[in-house]
Amino acid sequence: MKNFLQRHRLETPVLLCLALALVAALSLAGSNGLQRTITEVLIRVVMVVGMFIFIGHSGLISFGHMAFVGIGAYGVAWTTMEPSIKQYVLTGLPDLLLHSAMPWVPASLLAGLLAAAVALLAGAVILRLGGIAASIATFSLLAIFNVVYSNWDSVTAGSSSIVGIPTPVGVWQAFAFAAVAIALAHWHGISRFGLALRAVREEPVAARSCGIHAWRQLLVAFVLSAFVCGLGGALDAQFLGVVNPDAYYLGRTFTCLTMLVIGGSASLSGAVTGVLVLSALMELLIRLETGIALGSIAVQLPGGSQEIVTGLAMVLALIRRPTGLMQGRDWQWPRLAHPQSPPTVPPLEMQPR
Amino acid sequence: MPQNPLSSTLRRALPALCAGLLASGLACAQAGKDIVVGFANAKSGWVEAYDTPARRAALIRIDEINAAGGLLGRKLKVVETDTKSDRAQSAKAGLEALDQGAELLVVSCDYDFGAPAALEAQKKGKVSFFLCAEDIKAGVQGVGKNAFSASVLAAVQGATMAEWAYHKRNMRQAYVLLDTTIEYNKGICTGFDWMAPQLKGVHIVGRDNFKNGDASIAAQISRIKALLKEPDAIMLCSYIPGAASAVRQLRAAGIQSLILNGAAVDGSYWLDSVPGLSNFAVPVQGSVYGDDPNPQVEAFNKTFATRYGARPSNTYAFPGYVLIDVWAKAVNRAQSLEADKVTAELEKMRSEPTLFGPRTFSKEIHHQNQARLLISEVKAGKPGIVDEWTISSPVPLPVLLKR
Repeated sequence: MKNFLQRHRLETPVLLCLALALVAALSLAGSNGLQRTITEVLIRVVMVVGMFIFIGHSGLISFGHMAFVGIGAYGVAWTTMEPSIKQYVLTGLPDLLLHSAMPWVPASLLAGLLAAAVALLAGAVILRLGGIAASIATFSLLAIFNVVYSNWDSVTAGSSSIVGIPTPVGVWQAFAFAAVAIALAHWHGISRFGLALRAVREEPVAARSCGIHAWRQLLVAFVLSAFVCGLGGALDAQFLGVVNPDAYYLGRTFTCLTMLVIGGSASLSGAVTGVLVLSALMELLIRLETGIALGSIAVQLPGGSQEIVTGLAMVLALIRRPTGLMQGRDWQWPRLAHPQSPPTVPPLEMQPR
Repeated sequence: MPQNPLSSTLRRALPALCAGLLASGLACAQAGKDIVVGFANAKSGWVEAYDTPARRAALIRIDEINAAGGLLGRKLKVVETDTKSDRAQSAKAGLEALDQGAELLVVSCDYDFGAPAALEAQKKGKVSFFLCAEDIKAGVQGVGKNAFSASVLAAVQGATMAEWAYHKRNMRQAYVLLDTTIEYNKGICTGFDWMAPQLKGVHIVGRDNFKNGDASIAAQISRIKALLKEPDAIMLCSYIPGAASAVRQLRAAGIQSLILNGAAVDGSYWLDSVPGLSNFAVPVQGSVYGDDPNPQVEAFNKTFATRYGARPSNTYAFPGYVLIDVWAKAVNRAQSLEADKVTAELEKMRSEPTLFGPRTFSKEIHHQNQARLLISEVKAGKPGIVDEWTISSPVPLPVLLKR
């Protein structure tokens, strides 16, 4: 089995999915609140893996991916809400959307495709810029999304919240989408697109001389990552039942970017590890803020300490391990010093720095 | 041999983190003869500034009820969970409170932040009450049939200022300055725009928008100065801090018009930013300045001060008290905690007297679309109650829903 996985380079995604499945299964033994937390974590995995597809392989930090998450979230709001509510709140929608409601899985995929379409148009322009200029341009994408969605009252209900989105997403639904996201990210990483993009990241001139068209590779990654982020947004809307443009703006952007950077932006396992570790830390701190009893002592942190401690943890992690917790490596079975099986396909690794 | 991907420190810490998470996640079942009232409010973040005073007022009423023998012969027990001014956390905080057996879920002052928790309560078939949300959605239309709000709709505030200024301050030419940042502001101006055409001789000579975060409203002020005559009144639909900045800029530009506002700017804590402010009027549910016409309000303010170390800083503490008051009355009349029976009793209330004015609920509107409001005017930097006003007709539901 292990040889099979290693030969087909499926080791990492299978290990990641197993870990997430374990977390999901354990949560079912807990309270409703714990299950909601784990669902949230799994949705975050989808978003951060989506961001990884672009940021990890290209080396460009993108601040705008929350725009795609938001586009996906509003997309499912438009397609899955009951027509009776939609007709009053979202009067500017085309008739086709106003009078119909789709089942949630096709609606989520469609929302992802919508985000990918927007990414295709925006990325075609933005990705001609290089380096920091592209990063700032992605930030402007986020700002444009926020302003447009906050003011397009008839279609998005503006700065008001859209309420009444059906909520079929629970732990296992979120897990399924997380597995899909990991599969897509892994496939892209081991395909020629991922390899070409990493070549562009490491040595742009040499890559060009090999016939790799940087803009094209960046665009492929951008569109795929927008699709996955759109799926994440669709899940998020169908988990909370409420959408609002401010939920997909700076706060979430920095939380997700932090998870990616802390975990290690150069590998898929880094993205997932970052989400798991930081989510665990944040949840623990939230519990401590509420107050837990250890024996006879009641421990309670003052309100707001969760954000402060998380921030400090981020700084510490970046000082100790600038390349992230995973340092660009992927999850693998522990290897023996003298392997008895034939040499395996080398795992994805960035050049040691 | 590749290094194990997770560092040893992390590997040691991870099981502990996970164990701690799971342990604290397991539900603790609560059973007893006390009635549990759950408060899923913000204890940090910006919503905290509104939730905390209202929650404290609610706790005062709960203590009064317990001292008088409880509700249906049982004591009221309070369970508090933190939403951290975050929507997803709000849903979880609501669930936690409901898991501990809450019969009533009191949610945040803002619709956006209270709705996730209220929706959880509605799913479980429990009554939810918004502490002081002033959007019509904080009720039947935005949550469900057992959701209510304890405050007065923003549209009522705008309509009240229009009618009061017309009758008592001879307002004929009005200018509308709307801060488009949040729904509450839009609600105030909706009410003003609904009432103004009904007042004979009133003309809205212009309208403009700005954002709470705008450093300067010089462009908007230029347009006001460009009018032939200074408007009698400016309806400012905004909240602190943008409202304070706007007022400061208006007065600095020499515009001396009467400035009308919504209740969100009540309080003297921000008046230092506009020294010597005059001709500034705010509608409130009760006075925190010691001059409420009802002496029991001042007694309440003193109780609040004794218990919490400071008087309420603005009118938003009061709806918390009203919330518990009307809910307890409904439970008593229904002689049951069942959501539908309590809801039915609440919906029967017509001008039910409370400490801060009469309250009415109906099947379609679980909110106040008409209310007695006190007018607080700031004169030379000092606020004080000068009048009271109830709008001549309730704001109709289609106007509130902006259809």
